[in-house]
Amino acid sequence: MSDSNVSTEQTPGRSSFEIGHMTFVEITEDPRTGRLPSAHQRSRETIEQARLADQVGLDLFAVGEHHRTDFVGSAPAMVLAAAAEATENIRLTSSVTVLSSEDPVRVWEQFATLDQFSGGRAEIIAGRGSYTESFPLFGYDLADYADLFREKLDLLLKIRSRNPLTWSGRFRPALDHADIGPRAVQDELPIWVGVGGTPASAVSTGRLGLPMAMALLMGPITSHEQTIEMYRAAAEQAGHDPAALRTSINLHGYVGRTSQGARDTMYPYFARGMMDNNHQRGQGFQLPRAAFDAQTSPNAGLVVGSAQEVIDKLLAYHEIYGLDRALIQIGFGGMPQKDVLESIEILGTEVAPVVRREVAARKEKAA
Amino acid sequence: MTTRTDTLADVPEALARPADTSPRTLRVAVVNGSPSERSKTMGLVDVVLRTLRTALTREGIEVEENRVDVYRLGPEFTGALEREGVAPGVEHALRVVEQSDVLIAATPVFRGSYTGMFKHFFDLIDQYALANKPVFLAATGGGDHHALVLEHALRPLFGFFQAMTFPVAVFASSGDFDGTTLLNPRVHGRIEMAVTDVTDLLVTRATSRPQPPR
Repeated sequence: MSDSNVSTEQTPGRSSFEIGHMTFVEITEDPRTGRLPSAHQRSRETIEQARLADQVGLDLFAVGEHHRTDFVGSAPAMVLAAAAEATENIRLTSSVTVLSSEDPVRVWEQFATLDQFSGGRAEIIAGRGSYTESFPLFGYDLADYADLFREKLDLLLKIRSRNPLTWSGRFRPALDHADIGPRAVQDELPIWVGVGGTPASAVSTGRLGLPMAMALLMGPITSHEQTIEMYRAAAEQAGHDPAALRTSINLHGYVGRTSQGARDTMYPYFARGMMDNNHQRGQGFQLPRAAFDAQTSPNAGLVVGSAQEVIDKLLAYHEIYGLDRALIQIGFGGMPQKDVLESIEILGTEVAPVVRREVAARKEKAA
Repeated sequence: MTTRTDTLADVPEALARPADTSPRTLRVAVVNGSPSERSKTMGLVDVVLRTLRTALTREGIEVEENRVDVYRLGPEFTGALEREGVAPGVEHALRVVEQSDVLIAATPVFRGSYTGMFKHFFDLIDQYALANKPVFLAATGGGDHHALVLEHALRPLFGFFQAMTFPVAVFASSGDFDGTTLLNPRVHGRIEMAVTDVTDLLVTRATSRPQPPR
């Protein structure tokens, strides 16, 4: 596969450091009012978020894939297609596409179509998925978890690099000179690999020389030092140019008008989201306020606070990992739309310009 | 970062020893405590065996492998309450381990320790059959928080047998594997270290022991 997996060249006009807004479009009861929004309402709110993110100059809008009725997230490409029509410049990516339980042919068809409709703004972050609902839904066995991802990523990369395609594997019928369309607008539609931080994922992504998006839920800001070190070493060993490797951190955050205000706004929703979507001892994940506050300190992972705090945190991330982008999930746990929009606006107008300028200066200094 | 690379290409050269020396053989037995057909535990053991073979081939020693999958020994094994009168197949498996020169004891962590069948196998092993026998301890688990199973569960078990456990034991987490293939270079490096520590000893064992009839 060595011919198909060289990471994309920097497109002219791309930011020195890309900052994006990510959502899972979850439908969660507001812990303050007890109101449960409708799927339709959340769908429209999501497009409004994309439109604003585009208007304030953010680089990316990202939608996660979840196969449950408490998310409008089972078909991210559909959400992104709607977002494409409401936006002009922002890039549109899945975060992530649960590739293991998908047909790579169909994934390509959807994202290449998105690329056509958006004029070359489509991207894919392919992942193994941290939720497992999609496996039984599409008739896959979780026991094949690793083999599924490896094979499907191989096929997806080959579809990207050549057409027509002849291919055979274990998990889908063989392709014999298959003509798979549409082709993408971009010379190489970006395919990233989303990783949670397991060494094996870092090593296999590095070997392929693919751009890597690291998810950091909570914990020290340095949690992924080993991930990125193994990724770069594996890539270099496999003969990929280290300078061409692109990396991203995907995390939760909220920018507010004040430090304390940002924390107060984010906490109840984030805690609710953790309760609904993570578990310990077979029950929801309890996140006490003190534990949350600890996650917002300078050496912890969450990107929460005033614009200046978030600028500092993103620059710290860049310094530690040498990242190319940060994808921030704003509003997890059913935060009201007005709070989400306010945060997107500050992120785009006050945070992003400073971070991009500082990173550009760092790069210039290093060059 | 050190990543282990196979040096099997060096083998033919290493084997070019004086013609009158017949290759010495080290009998390595693996006791695999995993119930899975394709297991991470065996993925880990495969790397251990490859590393061991590479190190010993360089010294002109052949490695003979024998593997016991305790979960494949069947109801005659699971129903056995004592050594006396066990079914011939089970007896054979026990003897292979007792008569080996080196033992690799490998198990996944179940409910905080080695698997039940793994322990059951050693409950049937002769009390002194493992005395002074070199034993490589290996374990796999869902996360790094299980790593001390090596020191708190496996090492005392072989302490009872008065076996000679290698100073470095190796643990790997699920996240270190792609399927059953061990990817984490740090674990590879640790295996290399564990084997290097005892290579001299194993060479001595293989060359000072009368060779069994071939």
